[in-house]
Parts: sequence; structure tokens; C-alpha cells
Amino acid sequence: MKVTKFTNCVCLQRDGSLAHADVYVDTHTGKIISGQDFFYAAQELPSQIIDCAGDILSPGLIDVQINGAYGFDFSLWPPLGTENLSKHEQTDAYLAGLDRVAGKIVETGTTSFLPTIITQQQDLYREIIPLLGPRSQANSAHILGYHAEGPFIAGSRKGAHAPPFLLTAPRGLSSIEGVYDSAATQLRTPDSGVKLLTLAPDVDGIAGAIAPLAQLPGVVVSIGHSDADVDLASKCVDDGARFITHLFNAMPQLHHRDPGVIGLLGNQPKRPFYGLIVDGVHVHPNAVRLAYDAHPSGCILVTDAMPLMDPHLGDGIHDWRDGRRLFKQGARLYLENTTTLAGSASTLDECVRNLKSFTNSRCFVDTQRQFRCRLRRGFGDSR
Amino acid sequence: MRLIIRDDKPAVGGFTANYIAKRINEFQPTNDHPRFVLGLPTGSSPLPVYHKLIDLHNRGKVSFKHVITFNMDEYVGIPKSHPESYHSFMFDNFFSKVDIEPHNAHILDGEAENLVEECARYEEKIEAVGGIDLFLGGIGEDGHIAFNEPGSSLASRTRMKTLAYDTIVANARFFDNDIAKVPKMALTVGIATVMDAREVIIVITGKHKAPALAKSIEEGVNHMWTVSAIQQHPWAMVVADEDATLELRVGTVRYFKSIESVQAQQELKYGNAALRPKQRSVHASSPRF
Repeated sequence: MKVTKFTNCVCLQRDGSLAHADVYVDTHTGKIISGQDFFYAAQELPSQIIDCAGDILSPGLIDVQINGAYGFDFSLWPPLGTENLSKHEQTDAYLAGLDRVAGKIVETGTTSFLPTIITQQQDLYREIIPLLGPRSQANSAHILGYHAEGPFIAGSRKGAHAPPFLLTAPRGLSSIEGVYDSAATQLRTPDSGVKLLTLAPDVDGIAGAIAPLAQLPGVVVSIGHSDADVDLASKCVDDGARFITHLFNAMPQLHHRDPGVIGLLGNQPKRPFYGLIVDGVHVHPNAVRLAYDAHPSGCILVTDAMPLMDPHLGDGIHDWRDGRRLFKQGARLYLENTTTLAGSASTLDECVRNLKSFTNSRCFVDTQRQFRCRLRRGFGDSR
Repeated sequence: MRLIIRDDKPAVGGFTANYIAKRINEFQPTNDHPRFVLGLPTGSSPLPVYHKLIDLHNRGKVSFKHVITFNMDEYVGIPKSHPESYHSFMFDNFFSKVDIEPHNAHILDGEAENLVEECARYEEKIEAVGGIDLFLGGIGEDGHIAFNEPGSSLASRTRMKTLAYDTIVANARFFDNDIAKVPKMALTVGIATVMDAREVIIVITGKHKAPALAKSIEEGVNHMWTVSAIQQHPWAMVVADEDATLELRVGTVRYFKSIESVQAQQELKYGNAALRPKQRSVHASSPRF
């Protein structure tokens, strides 16, 4: 057995505290093992020792909402620059792009992610989705499957999604399957790659489809881009919806008589998990505190990052898609010449730091540990 | 016997660790005794010694690559992985921080199927590597060394021991303050096993250990203060802090302080090895108590 020992690090303990400790990892399985058993029972020494120089050693982060990064757009088909190539070459280019992101994003602490497909021309789903099954390359983040955000979202809460492609689901579940299913992959098949579906229950036909969708293995239904009132939203939770897509964004603001989707943070008896973009822009620090204090164990940090997410990329105007361009200013991204936020360019490790600083007394640990556990539970990360 | 007195616990740890490192570095391997063999204790008194040894190791001043260690004792009835086991103590506080080879680190196995055999094998293993060069120890408030509680035979060898009630009560703080959870038995080296070592160093720190120190070195050899057996050892040293000397007579303290510098001069002139007795110990060559 080959073992790597991380030493001189501060790491998470079971009880959520941080402590100086050594961590021993089986190099083959990637699992944390007992250094003591390894010493006394196997009577061996680590084959590699990594000195962390006092840094925090944490489990890898999981991003369940990321639209692209390092110049690659998960939702763009055919991939940029491959318009005149064969289908086969386009597929290769897309997978190469995915792998490039997976390889680079580990520098931000993200070790698993769900490529997120925003509202597309309907035909394109069957091109992209078959490419988004679970995928792992050496020294890269794991692709756990995909998050489909749209096309079943409310036009009134479309955000940066393209209005002509929004759909309703007059035939309920079969309308939804009609979009996401292809010859290669079907929502009903386990391991099809589907992990998270953002749906607006106020879109025609969606509310009734949530219960059967939530029954499908591996599918987590998320409420988002929606004008649903609180009654409709909590019925969705009763029906099995377990997540809220980027809380506060693309939904009505909290009203005390009808708190809407945000009101699910006070729901009884079950409260869903909620994605929160803690880039310091999409959600004001006070609103972050409100949500986090209301339901700390439900908070899941997401980046909602755009292809321009690249810690090495400068500010300015950058090409996006469909001839549109984005203005990047730090972690902020706007549709060119507007004040419409178009996703974020924050990295997930920045979001973790932000949450730690916004919520002050909360330890880093808490967000980290729970984040990981929660996602394991919620998204079937079997590792 | 020598008594070295230092201001406080860290200074005691520093002196002792430097001394041990020096002995390891001076060691001359021979065919039938190829490795330096070190006896080790657990507990709070030796912790500063371990800290300093790790520090010396990190600075490249000493290596444990070729050192063989034998620990004094281990509980029976708790798994090795239990946080209060001496396996855990040694791994956390020493073995995981230095370059010792796992197969050279010996600790009694309190989970062994046959505990009597385990103890006998332990003595054989010590003999097989040429005996212990230096046994480091601490003591309890009642002057016990390892789990050789008051009344233990001074001729004892490695064996099972039932813990004294006081020890069980004292240990309860490590086991959720629940006496029911405290192991009632242990495997321990005997007094004779310790005294067989070529050299014995006992660290004693803190005011609460002061009566034990006085009883052990100012009064006679007595099985009620088992560490008093070091009076019969040809090359033993007690390293104490000022607090631990509070019950000693002024004359005793002055005497040992005065001979420390004389001893140091002699060592400088002749070398430590030349001053040490050539025989392993009185016990190895003469009838036991």
C-alpha cells in the first residue's frame, strides 16, 4: 500500500473544529486512512510526505452550478470555432473543453462539479447531454453529471436566459423528457448523468411533474427562475423538490404576506437546500447572513460561474455567445451596456472565504464540512 | 546516581532530550548489538522530552532511523486505536513525527490472545536486540514506575498487573470521568526489566511529585516507592525541576547541584562511555533481589 502523508496542516475534525493533525491518504484508493494503523499494523512508512506549511487542508469543493470556465462554455453547441467541422470532431472538441476545465479548476479547490446547461435551442439538448455523464480524468476534478437550468423557467424571471427558447410542459413529465431525453440517455435511466433540474413550478405543466420527477433515481428537483408564490413553492417541497436555485436571484423578493420561493427557508416541516452565490455581488452580505442564519445547514455555495471565470483573466469586454458580449469587472459580469448580472466570475474558494467573512463568527469549517456532507447526501457522490 | 535539577518542565525536557540525542549519536554499533535500544514511557512528564527530541530531529541533529524502542506498558481491555491507548500516545506524540521505522517501535500488545506469552515474548525481544541501552521513565505521585504500583516486586519482569485504585481514579479523567470505562489491567515491564538497562533516566517534574522524589532517593530502597530501585543501578540519573525538589533536604539539593559540574568536567576529559560501567547492570550479573 502506498500512502501519502500530509503534515504540518490544519484540518477539519469530525466535530467541525480545526486542528493541527497529520492526514494519511491511500495513494491508490484516495481514501483517508488511519496513520496509526498504517504504522503499527502495516508497519510501513508513507511513500510521500507533503508539508502543508500550516495551510488548511480541506476536502475538495463541489460546485453544482457552473456554466463554464477558462473560456469554455458548457452550453455552447457546437463548441466555439468548430462550426464547420464534423459531428465527430465537434464532440471531441466539447469533451476536450470539459476536460480542460476539469483539469484547471482544481486550482480553485473545486474537485467535483456539475456542468450547468442553461436554456438551449431544443434540438441541442440531445447533442450536449449525452456528453455529460459522470467523467473523471487523472489529476482533474470529477464531473458528476449535469445540471439543466431551463428551458422550463418563467419568462418573467428569465435572467440572462434566451427568451425564444423557453418552453412550457403541457404534457407534464413527458414534455420534460421530450427535451432532456435522447437516444443515448434518458432521465429515467440511472447514471444518465442528470443530477439537478432547475424548474419553475409556475410554468404550465411543471408543478404536476415534480412528484414523478423527484421519484427518478439520481434526480434532484430544484425550484428556480420562478414567480411561484409560497403555497405553490411549499407544495413543490412536499412533492419532493429538494433545492432552490441561486436563492434571491431570479425570484420575487421576500414579502411578509407571500414570502414566495425565498419563504421556503421558513417552511415546515421540511426546508430545502439552497444554492447561494456568495460572490459579494449577486447577494448582499446582509442577505447572505439572513439566509445563512435562517437555515445554515441548508446552505450550498455555488459560483454560477461563466466561461469567463478564470483567475488569470483580466477585466474588460469579452465575447460570450450568440454574438453577445459580457463586461467583466473583478468577479462581476454584466451583459454588455446593461446592469444585468450575467452569472459570476468568482471561484468557489473565493465564495467560501466570502461566506466566512460575511457570517463572521461562523467557522470556515462549518461551511466546508457541511457542504461536503450535504452534497454527498444530496447528489449521490459515491466516492 | 545523579540528580540533575533544572528550572522548569521545558528545561528538564530540553536537558533530557539533548542527553538522549547525544547518546544515540555516540552509539557504536557492534555485530551482536547493531542498534541503539531505547526504553520509552508515556505520560505528561516525558512530553517535553518528546517535543524537544522532535525538534532536534527536525533540525537534523538526531535520527531514529536505526533506533529500536520498547515502551514500558499498555492497557489491557482497550483497542490500540483508542485515543487513550499508549499506542495512540506514542504515535501522536512521537513516532509519527520522527523517522523511526515502524518495525523497530515495540509496544506491549494489550489485545494479545495470550497475555502471558505476550509478556514473555517482550522480554525475549529485548534480549534479542542486545538489551536496552537507555531506559527513560517518569513516575507517579506514589513513586511508581511504569505500572509497577506500590508493593510491586523490585525483581519483577514484564507481566500483567492490576491497576491500583488510585491510578484508576486518576485515569478516569481520560475516560469521560467514568471509572467503569477505565481499564483495570495493564501489561508492564517489571522493575528488573528497567533496571537491566545499561542506563536509566527518570524525569520528575511538578510539586505534586516532590514527596515521591524525596522518598525515592533520600530513603531506603523500598517496594512501596518502586522507583527507589534506581539506588541500586550503576548508571542512573534523575532529572527534576525545582518544584519537584521541594521536599528534598537543602543538603541533598546542594550536593547534587555541586557534583553536576564536576561530572561534566570528568565527561569532557574521559568521555561518557569511559565513565559508564562496563557490565550491563547489577541485575544482569548478580542474583536479583
